Amino acid sequence: MTKDGVQGVAEEADQAQSKKGLKKQQKEAEKAAKKAEKQAKLTTDQQSTDDDDIAKDRYGVAPMVQSSERLDRVLVRVQELTPEKADQLIWVRARIHTSRAKGKQCFLVLRQQQFNVQALVAVGERASKQMVKFAANITKESIVDVEGVVRKVEQKIESCTQQDVELHVDRIFVISQAEPRLPLQLEDCVRPEGEGDEDGRATVNQDTRLDNRVIDLRTTTSQAIFRLQSGVCQLFRDTLINKGFVEIQTPKIISAASEGGANVFTVSYFKTSAYLAQSPQLYKQMCICADFDKVFCVGPVFRAEDSNTHRHLTEFVGLDIELAFNYHYHEVIESITDTMVQIFKGLRDKFQTEIQTVGKQFPSEPFKFLEPTLRLEFMEGVAMLREAGVEMGDEEDLSTPNEKLLGRLVKEKYDTDFYVLDKYPLAVRPFYTMPDPNDNKYSNSYDMFMRGEEILSGAQRIHDAQLLTERAMHHNIDLEKIKAYIDSFRFGAPPHGGGGIGLERVCMLYLGLHNVRQTSMFPRDPKRLTP
Amino acid sequence: MYLLPCHPFAQEVCEFAKMALRELSSLEKALGLKKPNKYSTQGDNKQVPVLQSNSGPALSGLVTIATHLVKQANRADLLGESAEHRAVVQQWLEYRVTKVDGCQKEEIKPILKDLNSYLEDKVYLAGNQFTLADTLMYYGVHHIIMDQSVQDKETYVNVTRWFDHVQHYPGVRHHLHPVVILKNRLYTSSHH
Repeated sequence: MTKDGVQGVAEEADQAQSKKGLKKQQKEAEKAAKKAEKQAKLTTDQQSTDDDDIAKDRYGVAPMVQSSERLDRVLVRVQELTPEKADQLIWVRARIHTSRAKGKQCFLVLRQQQFNVQALVAVGERASKQMVKFAANITKESIVDVEGVVRKVEQKIESCTQQDVELHVDRIFVISQAEPRLPLQLEDCVRPEGEGDEDGRATVNQDTRLDNRVIDLRTTTSQAIFRLQSGVCQLFRDTLINKGFVEIQTPKIISAASEGGANVFTVSYFKTSAYLAQSPQLYKQMCICADFDKVFCVGPVFRAEDSNTHRHLTEFVGLDIELAFNYHYHEVIESITDTMVQIFKGLRDKFQTEIQTVGKQFPSEPFKFLEPTLRLEFMEGVAMLREAGVEMGDEEDLSTPNEKLLGRLVKEKYDTDFYVLDKYPLAVRPFYTMPDPNDNKYSNSYDMFMRGEEILSGAQRIHDAQLLTERAMHHNIDLEKIKAYIDSFRFGAPPHGGGGIGLERVCMLYLGLHNVRQTSMFPRDPKRLTP
Repeated sequence: MYLLPCHPFAQEVCEFAKMALRELSSLEKALGLKKPNKYSTQGDNKQVPVLQSNSGPALSGLVTIATHLVKQANRADLLGESAEHRAVVQQWLEYRVTKVDGCQKEEIKPILKDLNSYLEDKVYLAGNQFTLADTLMYYGVHHIIMDQSVQDKETYVNVTRWFDHVQHYPGVRHHLHPVVILKNRLYTSSHH
């Protein structure tokens, strides 16, 4: 192409560009004009309808609650909306669980923790068309303040917990608006497994729930699970306090791994390293040697076990017990089993609502236990397993499948979901376990099981410094590393024993759930560090 | 008397031959045959048992030889009393050598499901009559049932019931370990 040719082309290109540009500008101008027109129309519409809106002071988005004034208003709990309050005008603060507009009416379900109630906004003397429209458009999960009259209904509202009443709304204000797109739907969260598949409706998988834990925890099932868990802690404390135990707090940053070097988290500690406690074992025992006689502690336990199973967490809450006894470690077993039975009874008697709520999504058999607690010897358990065709050695530890099978056999024979297996082989227990006085292949140690899964490992501890040293050497443990521990028994130590349970695992097994993450509020495992 | 030198590379397959020969030996005892026969093996990797008889051609194949032994012992009733029964017996004998023998891990469940639904309303494979099909099927599935968990045994409840019945049938169990079958159900609810 000649120079002129190039220039010509360039000029043409310029011209073409400016033509294009003009066109573009024109289009944009048209668009803007249309938009402005629409906006203007809307505002005029709004104004015209505003003028006709008789209810405009009775609904809307309230200004953010910044504590500007202290209203002396009583907010009634949804749980208390019963026929007794019929015809009363009351205020409620709850979440919008669902909203459904139907012509001149809008049906809302207002939810507060485990309870929900139907509310109705209807065009009439008190409510306008615009108000009904507003109510129908409030996003799910938004928190609202509602004033309304409680009315009895002729037909029970099956889908709500408050089945005999509904709220006729007079005023409704949004206190905190939720974003329109929720990361998960609450109805999907509580749908039982299997039901979803039939209807083609979704259930939410565990990872999604855990990633959006704040919303998942709002569901009725989660509320019930964690209320029950709170109950377990409280019953544990109350029962032991009544037995004369003292609650202690033990350090979690320690200088030596308490259970063994493999599964421990290391933290940097100024110029050196320290470990996160795998159990309060050492300190419980030191407290006994310090004459506290009967102690318990509730606190986190850290296990750096790279296990991705249904029942392992890297951090969980340990409920630990340790007590001095007079002459026989069975005194300890009886104290622990009695505590467990008190917890089971307390849950059964005071948390039925929660147990039933969980059961709707995760059906299971009610938890059964015997009084006094069933105690079998290890060898009896082995005999039962052998009778069922399992081959195992006399001093072999129970594998998890064998534990579960034994749990089934015990349930079938004795009709209990909770039992103790006593006199484990010495070879499979930690070095500080007291050997059996009559047969040194066995030990004064025990495990406790719920629904066939182990929840507690305990024993009589060696309280004699010399024997302890011997056993440690037998296990090839570096004596230097446990010097402080052995020293605690050198200046008079009472015979003692104890055990510890995991709060999450006990709740999971009591409710017949299948994954410990369901009973841990913000679970920690090798793959999860948030939320 | 039954074991012949096997090619070292065919060791695994020789196991099949060994198993077949053991079964035939047990069958002879079960049938009350006084004089045990002499077997050899043939075929690729020497896995097919062969019985050389004095009168007539050699018989090869587990089912063929077993059928012959039954007739030899004058127990033709074990092959079925009616034409229909005989056909059913043959069908299950074939199932044993074609489907059960040498089956892969993932084929086990379908086999158990098949047997379980078939046995729902029958005492034995041929209905109400104990036949050779029960004996050979028992030999064939023994290793599967041995390895089953208690829960699986309860899932395939009809197979388990039939198996326990056959393994206790007088004279049947010779070379195989008794498998423990529990009387009571441990896994009652559908949820576990």
